[in-house]
Amino acid sequence: MTDKKYLETHEWYSINDNNITVGISDFAQGELGDIVFVTLPNVGQEFNKGDSMIEIEATKTIAEAYAPMDCVITEINSDLDSQPEVINTDPCGTGWLVKADIKKLDDTGMSYQEYESFIS
Amino acid sequence: MNDLLTTSLYKFHQEQKAKMIEFAGWLMPFSYEGTIKEHNCVRTESGFFDVSHMGRIYIENNEIENVNKLICSDLIKLKNTKAMYSIFTNEEGNALDDVIFWKFETHIILICNAINRDKITTHLTNNEISYKDITFETSLIAIQGPQSIELLKTLLEIPDKFSTKNNKTFTYARTGYTGEDGLEIMYENIHTDQVLKFLIENNIKPCGLGSRDTLRLEASLPLYGFELTEKISPVEANLKWVINNNDNYLGKNKIDEHIKTGEHKYLKKFILESKRIPRTGTEVKSNNVSGVVTSGNYSPILEKSIGFVLLDSLPESDLLEFDIRGNLLEGQIINKRFLS
Repeated sequence: MTDKKYLETHEWYSINDNNITVGISDFAQGELGDIVFVTLPNVGQEFNKGDSMIEIEATKTIAEAYAPMDCVITEINSDLDSQPEVINTDPCGTGWLVKADIKKLDDTGMSYQEYESFIS
Repeated sequence: MNDLLTTSLYKFHQEQKAKMIEFAGWLMPFSYEGTIKEHNCVRTESGFFDVSHMGRIYIENNEIENVNKLICSDLIKLKNTKAMYSIFTNEEGNALDDVIFWKFETHIILICNAINRDKITTHLTNNEISYKDITFETSLIAIQGPQSIELLKTLLEIPDKFSTKNNKTFTYARTGYTGEDGLEIMYENIHTDQVLKFLIENNIKPCGLGSRDTLRLEASLPLYGFELTEKISPVEANLKWVINNNDNYLGKNKIDEHIKTGEHKYLKKFILESKRIPRTGTEVKSNNVSGVVTSGNYSPILEKSIGFVLLDSLPESDLLEFDIRGNLLEGQIINKRFLS
């Protein structure tokens, strides 16, 4: 699995062969505050880069997570149904959101260092 | 954020690494350890809020009759040492602001919303009412939660509920905005260190505006700008219990007409068996009655979505249909309190 890359819309992705795992950054979860509900897509659903894939409800606001590249959902983190707060406590680990097969590779996300300077 | 106002507790907020937000021209703490944690702390223990951004206006008691012509509750009949919630109304009978009065032997303290401080002081000036705006020289702390009174006993003589007291340093009332017991305490800014020392020694946790909002919503309390505006009357906002002023106050005719005819909008509480939150502005239907969500959020105690909806007329059914970003979800009007 490759190192995580970050988007300006605060998602991270990592690539494993032809599959990506997507989540939101620690910065994003901190800005959202307590996450209480997540609407995940269905397995098999297709998205183009930049499409809204996921809705994240927090006490402060609602946010969307966007597709980092053209992809087809292969797995969703169904643990988030009962424990959405895992995104707050472990956004880059067990708080991952979806896994998807890559339809068109676009590995242009920022490195962690680049993302850090982007948010600072 | 350079032009924003800060309270006397600003340094403390920074030290605590609070997440700060702009609110009504002030830089205020949104949360310290997380909204839900702070919410539960106030429901089960004791927490404190810096609410120094709220307007504090000192008015001598010889102006009470004049103030009484601008509000829908009877401030004249209110006994000294009592606190009262009321609403400044405009000519249309709608809300200019919802406020708290603390009445003492010689004066009243009027506490208004931060966003409306200029509006209310201008309104007082226009009605030739003398006042002194003491917002900037004082601080206001709300200590709330079931353990609060027991902890505060070591610092202050505790008044009865909705009653006020003052001493050399503190002016305070047993009031709040969370549905929990507690005190709201005003003092000159020079005493902030003493107050913080007491709060820290007693392990009373700081809470931000995020939990203040979820707590007030769960306690069915309105927020100006959402449930009350210059286009919503206290009758529409289901606050008829506040209207007890027989004086010919501003907007009385319109309010009396609303009460008599029942032909007005209706603010109702709702609950959804979902964690999906209908936010402010969400469109709602109840059969053929349309409405809009004024406030909606997650209730940490009920673990469901709750809020207020303003319906165009009295609905025949308690069933509601929310259009949450294109998804239609069913909800229910609740006529009792959210928390029993």
